[in-house]
Amino acid sequence: MLTRPEALQLVLHRLAALGRELGKPELERADEQTRLFGETAQLDSIGLVTLIADLEEDIRRATGRDVVLADEKAMSRLTSPFRRAGLLADHIVATLGAMPPA
Amino acid sequence: MPLALITGTSRGLGRALAERLLAQGWTVHGFSRQPDAWAPPGFVAQAVDVGDPVAVRSAVAAITAGGATIDLLINNAGAAAMNALLLTPPEVAADLIRVNYLGTFHCLQTVGKAMVRARRGRIINVTTVAVPLALEGEAAYVASKAAVEALTRVAARELAPQGLVIAAVGLGPVDTRLTKAVGAAPLARLNQRIGRPAGTTIAEAVDFLLGHALDPHLANGSIHYLGDFPPA
Ligand SMILES: NC(=O)c1ccc[n+]([C@@H]2O[C@H](COP(=O)([O-])OP(=O)(O)OC[C@H]3O[C@@H](n4cnc5c(N)ncnc54)[C@H](OP(=O)(O)O)[C@@H]3O)[C@@H](O)[C@H]2O)c1
Repeated sequence: MLTRPEALQLVLHRLAALGRELGKPELERADEQTRLFGETAQLDSIGLVTLIADLEEDIRRATGRDVVLADEKAMSRLTSPFRRAGLLADHIVATLGAMPPA
Repeated sequence: MPLALITGTSRGLGRALAERLLAQGWTVHGFSRQPDAWAPPGFVAQAVDVGDPVAVRSAVAAITAGGATIDLLINNAGAAAMNALLLTPPEVAADLIRVNYLGTFHCLQTVGKAMVRARRGRIINVTTVAVPLALEGEAAYVASKAAVEALTRVAARELAPQGLVIAAVGLGPVDTRLTKAVGAAPLARLNQRIGRPAGTTIAEAVDFLLGHALDPHLANGSIHYLGDFPPA
């Protein structure tokens, strides 16, 4: 299990690392409201895929759980959980909460 | 030591590919539904149905859990059926899509994520000369492998920015359990058509596949067919 602050910490930590890798210093200062995709977002679709792949591994390391963040439910929601850093943290907590006990 | 994951290692081409890479010093992980007791040093088998995405994910996680990275994935597991198109049972068509196409899709997606995390990796999908030849009598099999080829081309474009190289290798007839049900005459005709009248041994098929898989200049999204023939 992860608390909401822990999940957000994972997301922001990953965004900062990606920012360094992609030469986008704005990502190193990311917060709850940072837009991850869309017109004014900091990441392109390749960056978003990389972020999700990296985060799934971070979550596995932190919790021992094998999560898929881009599941069918997430992809069909009206408000995408990948829109902003804070929404992604909510989505991580909800996904872990909905998993059967290990 | 480089690490490869090969699907379909319980027999046939997958087993021969594993043997060759092990002899070259690779660590090899193998997936098949019914692995046998074969366990040479450096080889780790897991019982996995590649058509089951949950099973694929947990088996791949077992490989990467200790921090190992997968350098090469060969999506080799496959099934075939020869039927006149109008007499092909729907269950057969569905099963070929499940194993050949979806099996490749699930492994590519799961291992692809691990490779994106490593920012590098190579994936080879196994297809058949029957696709460019539009071979009569194999419609369901050919369609499932055509889907594998389309997936290869799109995946190569989508994942190239993260350092992945993805290609496909199409084989002609090779003497394995897959071709046991096919008569000698149609196999001989097919071998003629692809300019290999003497046929192809398993060792030659392995040479051809690994020649491309390990080629440092392998073009992303390329598809390489064994033999020499004009497309249908
Ligand atoms: N032989 C040929 O002439 C020829 C020609 C062109 C292309 N190919 C392609 O080459 C590849 C290998 O074929 P082969 O000739 O070596 O066939 P094979 O001798 O029948 O071996 C097939 C392998 O795939 C595994 N497999 C099948 N379904 C699976 C599933 N759902 N999940 C996991 N593993 C599965 C089998 O293991 P289990 O049964 O234990 O699961 C076995 O290890 C196939 O993709 C085939 O289409 C072969």
